Amino acid sequence: MKIIKKLALGLGVAAAAQMAQAADSGFDLKTVDPEADRIALQNYFKSRFPQAEVSDYVNGIYAVDADSREQWEELEEFPPYEFAVEEGEVLFNTPFANGKGYADCFENGGVGIRQNYPYWSKEEGTVKTLEMEINECREANGEKPLKWAKGDIAKISAYMAWTSRDKEINIEIPADDPRAKAAYLDGKKFFYAKRGQLNLSCANCHVQGSNIRIRADLPSPQLGHTSHFPVFRSKWGELGTLHRRYKGCHKDSRSKPLSHQVEVYRNLEYFQSYMNNGLVINGPGARK
Amino acid sequence: MKKVIAITAALALAPTFAAAESFQEAFEMNRAMHGKNHVFEWNGNKYNTNHEEEVEAAVKATKANALDLIAKAKAKNKEAAEVGFEWKLTGGIIKDAEKAVEAGEYRKALDLAAQAKYHSRMGIQQHAYAQKHWHLSVPQ
Ligand code: HEC
Repeated sequence: MKIIKKLALGLGVAAAAQMAQAADSGFDLKTVDPEADRIALQNYFKSRFPQAEVSDYVNGIYAVDADSREQWEELEEFPPYEFAVEEGEVLFNTPFANGKGYADCFENGGVGIRQNYPYWSKEEGTVKTLEMEINECREANGEKPLKWAKGDIAKISAYMAWTSRDKEINIEIPADDPRAKAAYLDGKKFFYAKRGQLNLSCANCHVQGSNIRIRADLPSPQLGHTSHFPVFRSKWGELGTLHRRYKGCHKDSRSKPLSHQVEVYRNLEYFQSYMNNGLVINGPGARK
Repeated sequence: MKKVIAITAALALAPTFAAAESFQEAFEMNRAMHGKNHVFEWNGNKYNTNHEEEVEAAVKATKANALDLIAKAKAKNKEAAEVGFEWKLTGGIIKDAEKAVEAGEYRKALDLAAQAKYHSRMGIQQHAYAQKHWHLSVPQ
């Protein structure tokens, strides 16, 4: 624990040093500019890790740390998520009791659409995630919603990501609805605010702290964070959704984590996914 | 001593205290260097290094006092949760305080409740700080 505290202090200094560069825009609804944020984040990582290709950030920590990359390439030779994708395909194509199926709920029959999630729904005034719509599809057809986090929902989501591999992430923030930008700003704020007993923000670990050892772990750069979800983590021994990861990381600051799919987690996903525009979907992924 | 304690509590409670940050710095430095029950000077006045909650817990160890401080801790923690800054262990500490009351260990209960209330207060402070400063670590 000592180590983490020291690191937190060190990072605090790093954050303070950046103050000098901080412009006075982008922090309220009037000035927030998602596209400027995206470019600034890319530039930050370009100067931080000049040897890494931007397109490689979809591979998380393996984009910037050669040692763990080697282990990971071995892991990917026999992808641990392979069976889960097959099971996901079967689940996806198994009709509901009423004869309908998931394909009826989604655009293009649910194939090759992962890159458009999450999106802003003007009708509902909220950010919609893929997992959310999988469960809404079930309920609309008289089925019980699946448990969040893991299991069938992660498998179905993994299959849908699989059919979308190599498609460019394309998150839109519609200009004609200011609430969309507010949701983006809320997610951005969540990401950068220090919290919990350890007083750590997501950014402390995944921007300033990326590729700096924290106990036994190297946090990945936030650029690319959402592209490969759901993920098969060796530590879990199974697939898990993005919000499962959010809860775990939220807890790592010694905060009480929130529930799956709460508004602020969906806003966080909206912000993080927007940062990845132009990168490609490579889900499901494998991580340590 | 009593007088000094009262001043600390009053200051810590005043939310719009003009020079809050520099007092806070002086308080934290003295607390870190000297621990509890140390008297220091700041802007010509004397203060001590006890947290608001340590002052609250320094009462007679009775069931009524313990339950009272637990109720305060719960209310504070609820406030922290409402702004999204509840800490991970606080709820568990409050439960432990309640168990201590059941076991008749009122001193222990008071100390745990004080700790939980302190966590909650820090979470709320963190939220206020984040509102003002979250942008400092955003790459430009
Ligand atoms: C104490 C440091 C720390 C904090 C704070 C932290 N994380 Fe993490 N996070 C990690 C580590 C370590 C990993 C595992 C290694 C990695 O990044 O893949 C990880 C993994 C992740 C991943 C998966 C990356 C991948 O490639 O699979 C995501 C997404 C993530 N964190 C998001 C967040 C968010 C959002 C927050 C804020 C709520 C946050 N993290 C806070 C340390 C942290």
